[in-house]
Amino acid sequence: MAQQSTDYVTLVSSDGFEFKLQRSAATVSGAIKRMLDPISNFTEAQTNTCTFENINGVVLEKVCEYLYYNEKHKNNKDVPDMDIPPELCLELLMAADFLDGESCTAVCLISNADTGLV
Amino acid sequence: MVSSTTQGLHGDDVDFESTWTTLASSFKEIHTKNASKLSYEELYRHAYRIVLKKKGEVLYGRVRDFEKEWLSQTVAASIQGLVTGSLRSGAHGSAAVTTANERREAGWRFLKGLKEAWQDHQLCMSMLADVLMYMDRVYCTDHRRPSIFITAMNLFRDCILLSKSSSEADSLTILAILNGIILDQIQMERDGDIIDKHLIKSCVYMLEGLYEADQEVEEQRLYVTSFETDFLNASREFYRKEGEFLLRESDAGAYCRHTQRRITEEQDRCRSTLSETTTPKIEQVVEDELVRNKLRELIEMESGVRHMIDNDRSADLRLMYILNSKVDPLKKELTSAIQQRIKEMGAEINAAAIAASQAQPAPAADAEGDKPKAPGDRALSQQTVAALKWVEDVLNLKDKYDSFWKFSFDSDQGMQKAISSSFTDFINSATFTRSSEYISLFIDENMKKGIKGKTETEVDQVLEKAIILLQYVQDKDMFERYYKKHLCRRLLMNKSLSNDVEKQMISRMKVEQGNNFTLKLEAMFKDMTISEELTTGFKGHVAKLGDADAARAELAINVLTSMTWPLETMGSSGDNEESRKMRCIFPPAIERIKKSFEKYYSDKHSGRQLTWLANMGSADLRATFPKVQTKEGIKERKHELNVSTYAMVILLLFNDIPASQSITFEEIQAKTNIPTSDLVRNLQSLAVAPKTRILIKEPMSKDVKPTDRFSFNEGFSGKFHKIKVGVVTAGNKVETDKERQSTEEKNNESRGFCIDAAVVRIMKQRKELTHQQLVTETLSQLATQFKPDINMIKKKIESLIEREYLERIDEAKVPSYRYLA
Repeated sequence: MAQQSTDYVTLVSSDGFEFKLQRSAATVSGAIKRMLDPISNFTEAQTNTCTFENINGVVLEKVCEYLYYNEKHKNNKDVPDMDIPPELCLELLMAADFLDGESCTAVCLISNADTGLV
Repeated sequence: MVSSTTQGLHGDDVDFESTWTTLASSFKEIHTKNASKLSYEELYRHAYRIVLKKKGEVLYGRVRDFEKEWLSQTVAASIQGLVTGSLRSGAHGSAAVTTANERREAGWRFLKGLKEAWQDHQLCMSMLADVLMYMDRVYCTDHRRPSIFITAMNLFRDCILLSKSSSEADSLTILAILNGIILDQIQMERDGDIIDKHLIKSCVYMLEGLYEADQEVEEQRLYVTSFETDFLNASREFYRKEGEFLLRESDAGAYCRHTQRRITEEQDRCRSTLSETTTPKIEQVVEDELVRNKLRELIEMESGVRHMIDNDRSADLRLMYILNSKVDPLKKELTSAIQQRIKEMGAEINAAAIAASQAQPAPAADAEGDKPKAPGDRALSQQTVAALKWVEDVLNLKDKYDSFWKFSFDSDQGMQKAISSSFTDFINSATFTRSSEYISLFIDENMKKGIKGKTETEVDQVLEKAIILLQYVQDKDMFERYYKKHLCRRLLMNKSLSNDVEKQMISRMKVEQGNNFTLKLEAMFKDMTISEELTTGFKGHVAKLGDADAARAELAINVLTSMTWPLETMGSSGDNEESRKMRCIFPPAIERIKKSFEKYYSDKHSGRQLTWLANMGSADLRATFPKVQTKEGIKERKHELNVSTYAMVILLLFNDIPASQSITFEEIQAKTNIPTSDLVRNLQSLAVAPKTRILIKEPMSKDVKPTDRFSFNEGFSGKFHKIKVGVVTAGNKVETDKERQSTEEKNNESRGFCIDAAVVRIMKQRKELTHQQLVTETLSQLATQFKPDINMIKKKIESLIEREYLERIDEAKVPSYRYLA
């Protein structure tokens, strides 16, 4: 059962969609990082898989997109805005809060402000 | 499970109690190390929900209670189980009951158990905190509560460390036992046992991570408030006892080494076992107990500083120095010990010199009693030896301390000053007043003999040494007087080996003491040069006159400026007045040359008066003795005699009378007008000394009496062609007491003038001054020359008032003076 930490981890949505992404990108989220922490050694750390019971596939896909977007641009300035569909904004914002990704929350807030939701 | 997959992120009502039950059972799993069965996501989501529904406060409280219960029931019990009887007694300090080994084992088990409990607690709490991250982030931040992790750590302190070690009411807390054990283990290490440093270090980490109160203040770490104080107190006690023991049982050198080792040990211990922050504090303790409080005793120990100095233990002294400088940047104790030793040794040298100078000549010396030396002369040479020995001893002492200073005292500035001042003290000590004379004598001796065959660097060293000593002398004017006297003899009697070295010496003194000091000395050299020119000039002058007479005596002259040369000291002792009044009557041949030179000189320099000092000159005579039967046949013997001017005058008298005729002492004196004492001495060397007995004295005896008769010794024979008739003079000799008195008188006189001049100079500038200020200023002005006597200054001020240079200011509150232009 015990498995080595891998370079890639799997995120699973509440409706069963699986997203494989780089560990380094995923652990930007405080929650995911702790979930996969080999020292604490929870089930997620052993299987390198995180299942989110409260995030659906659409939102999780956007989350993953953000995680890569963040990974890609983390050292740059003047990065292009990420495209966030207005209808996803609220749910994304909550997901960001849940996952403890401060930069993610900020991005969502900006997008929401654009669409006039907040 | 309450949560449903369909509820999404914004779930509906949460049943708090059932959710908490789930969490609590999971927490227990975590504490029992079964976390791998748990899903982080699930736990996190539960906590998230609770906090989202504003139940954070309740959750926080529940977690805290849960931890408190866990710690005080499960963990505390296991820790208490480790506290055995031996530990309790060990912590009380009564080690007698159990062996050290048992105690160490039990202590080790306790430390290990406590360390593991702490590490488990930390790990579990960090997992719990991870799960409760959302609570920390949202609830704790918003309500300003410490994070759950910190709260749990404080719970460990309260429920474990501060709990009683057993059910008895008066039992120690776990913390006290822990401290006791660590101290015990450290003590074992100090005694040479090996302990588990890592284990202790872990426990120390724990204490460093916990705080006395819930606020995290650096000074309030348990390590500082609880352990460190105990540790320092225990160490202080230990080192106090150890210090006392060592002072009793070992010598000072070993003590220093031991202390040094202890300090390093404690530093290492802080690094490897305790905390770096303790290093300065424990160092302070060790230094206090082993050095500061014991230093005086240590220095005064039988094997203390004195012993080290006497036995050249520079390594031990170095340790002593290092220790002292740790507790006192000025190193007062050591410095004063060194100073005292220098003074003692200096006093010994002084005493030895005095003793040697007063000691009677050894009886063995009497065996060669037929030497033409009066007993007084021998005493003098005894003094000379004493003087040279004194200088050598002082220089050796100086070398010794210099090497200590270099190797043991890190060339410390303050130390150098202290050493110098101690040398000054004993060299100028009131009970020993001859240092100026002795130093000058030392130079004199070296100029005449010492530097023969030495390389330039060696000569340099000798000069350097003399200069070093000179620096210590306070009465520089005394030294100048003696030096002038000795230099004068060297120059006039051609005894100096090298003019270059003489000049070097002068220029060195110039560097050290300034222009003023050497002015007169240089003038003496100038006189010598001028005199040489005069002599050759006069020779040329005589040749030009065409009065070429083979029998004519040649004249070499030294014209000396009377102010510069200490001529009075050249005269025979005591009767200077007499010699000044009595002009020696020269034989006509000599008188002629004298006249002619006087004329030559006054032509060159008008208005100068020449006074002839016959007592200082010398003459070469060619003497012919009648034919006598010798082994090689009958032959006339010619000798070249080198005699003093007076002796020449005496001998020339016998040219005019038949060989068989004799003259009395009184007749000689009447004809020559030579002062009595000079005459006695010259006759002694001519008629008594066995190798130069050119005259025959009747009756034959050692002493010369006014009634004695003298005649020419026709039968005189000498081994060499050239014979030097040594006059019994006090050449390179220490002064007799009488001479010393007169020297001192003269010195005081000239000091009087210096003080006069200084006072007038100061008053002229300042117009008005209080008595006190005037005295101080005078002292400071004259400090480079000598150390004036206060009474003398007072007297001089009085006399200046009498002579109306100054007046007293009557209306002034303190005695004051005004300058009268």
